[in-house]
Amino acid sequence: MLKNVKYFAEQSWLLIAASFVFGLLLAVTNTAWGPMIEQNEINKFNNLASLLLTDASFETALKDVEVDSGKGKKIKTSIKKGVSRDSDCVGWAFVCEGSGFADKIKLVLTVDAAFEKLAGFGVLASNETPGFGDKIKGDYYRNQFVGAPAAQLVLSKTGDDKIIDNEIVAITGATVSSEAVVKTVNNYIKQIKTCMQTEGLLNNAE
Amino acid sequence: MPSNDSANVSFARTFAAGIWNENPVLRLLLGMCPTLAVTAAVKPALTMGLSVIFVLFCSNIVVSLMRNMLKPHLRILMFTLTISTFVTIADLFLKAFAPVMSETLGPYVPLIIVNCIIICRAEACASKNTLAVSIVDALGMGAGFTLTLCVLAGIRELLATGKVFEIQVMPGAFVPWAAMGMPVGAFITLGLLLGAVNLITRKNP
Repeated sequence: MLKNVKYFAEQSWLLIAASFVFGLLLAVTNTAWGPMIEQNEINKFNNLASLLLTDASFETALKDVEVDSGKGKKIKTSIKKGVSRDSDCVGWAFVCEGSGFADKIKLVLTVDAAFEKLAGFGVLASNETPGFGDKIKGDYYRNQFVGAPAAQLVLSKTGDDKIIDNEIVAITGATVSSEAVVKTVNNYIKQIKTCMQTEGLLNNAE
Repeated sequence: MPSNDSANVSFARTFAAGIWNENPVLRLLLGMCPTLAVTAAVKPALTMGLSVIFVLFCSNIVVSLMRNMLKPHLRILMFTLTISTFVTIADLFLKAFAPVMSETLGPYVPLIIVNCIIICRAEACASKNTLAVSIVDALGMGAGFTLTLCVLAGIRELLATGKVFEIQVMPGAFVPWAAMGMPVGAFITLGLLLGAVNLITRKNP
């Protein structure tokens, strides 16, 4: 037994020591730059959301709302209220997360004040295939969500992308990424709406 | 013991090898993925090149320092561990200080972890040579990679948009070749560059 432990230590001490040192180095780097990265993400969220809900400023309405990812995993998100200059509620914005083709896709989703229509989405983070899956950031795909009902959306491979309804036309060559966005939106819309109704936020907005 | 002069000449040769004789892209055909993917414009190409220089420099230093302690069957694991640490640092740096560029480069910065140039230099140079040689090799190879990326990106950006470094170069009458900004443009430009380099370096029979 002791002989085996000694052999293991002889063979792997450098690997263990290096893992510890590199882990420490990454922890220090992450601690130093983490807040800046977080701030950049907040700025990006605000920029994207204010493009979708024109001229709105955002204040947190509900923090740490737990959303089921669909695979049994709970993801926390915050619901932000879009407020106009006259202090009227112009809509709601929140971050959505789902599995894409290559990696997680993070979206900023905005809906109108009554939670009846989508105001659109913006891509916060995605590593989808350049030239194919990353077309979810393009106007062709994103414009189909602007004004679409805040209810169950359906993905179709053919159709007219100019017609705004609950049918979203997939991007050619990027069906998986297109489907991932629709699934993520459907998942969040349903759960966030229920949560906001429970908290009485929707009635207040109306 | 070699004199300072001969050591300097040897360092200069090692550095120059990375730029031309052993240029990682044009002569060794390594690192093709970022070469084709991020050369639509000079700015992302330069950022990718600088990121690779940083990772190559740091990983060569670490690998060279631990070369006598490496167990042969664990060496690739150690190289990957070392490289992935510095790639993560480079990725975090870009996300913190250049978020727009980080987004433009997308997955290609994390993909430096599997870039053949870096593993190749760790295996072929840093694990067998002194610290000084490893550093010079990293800088030479990194500079060669960066220069090639910038030349390729310069040609593509010029023909695709009429600009270089986002500065208008071509006259107003120039009609941009949109295809040069697309993947097809990357393949054609790289192929022509490789052909030109082969023509220059062809030895007369």
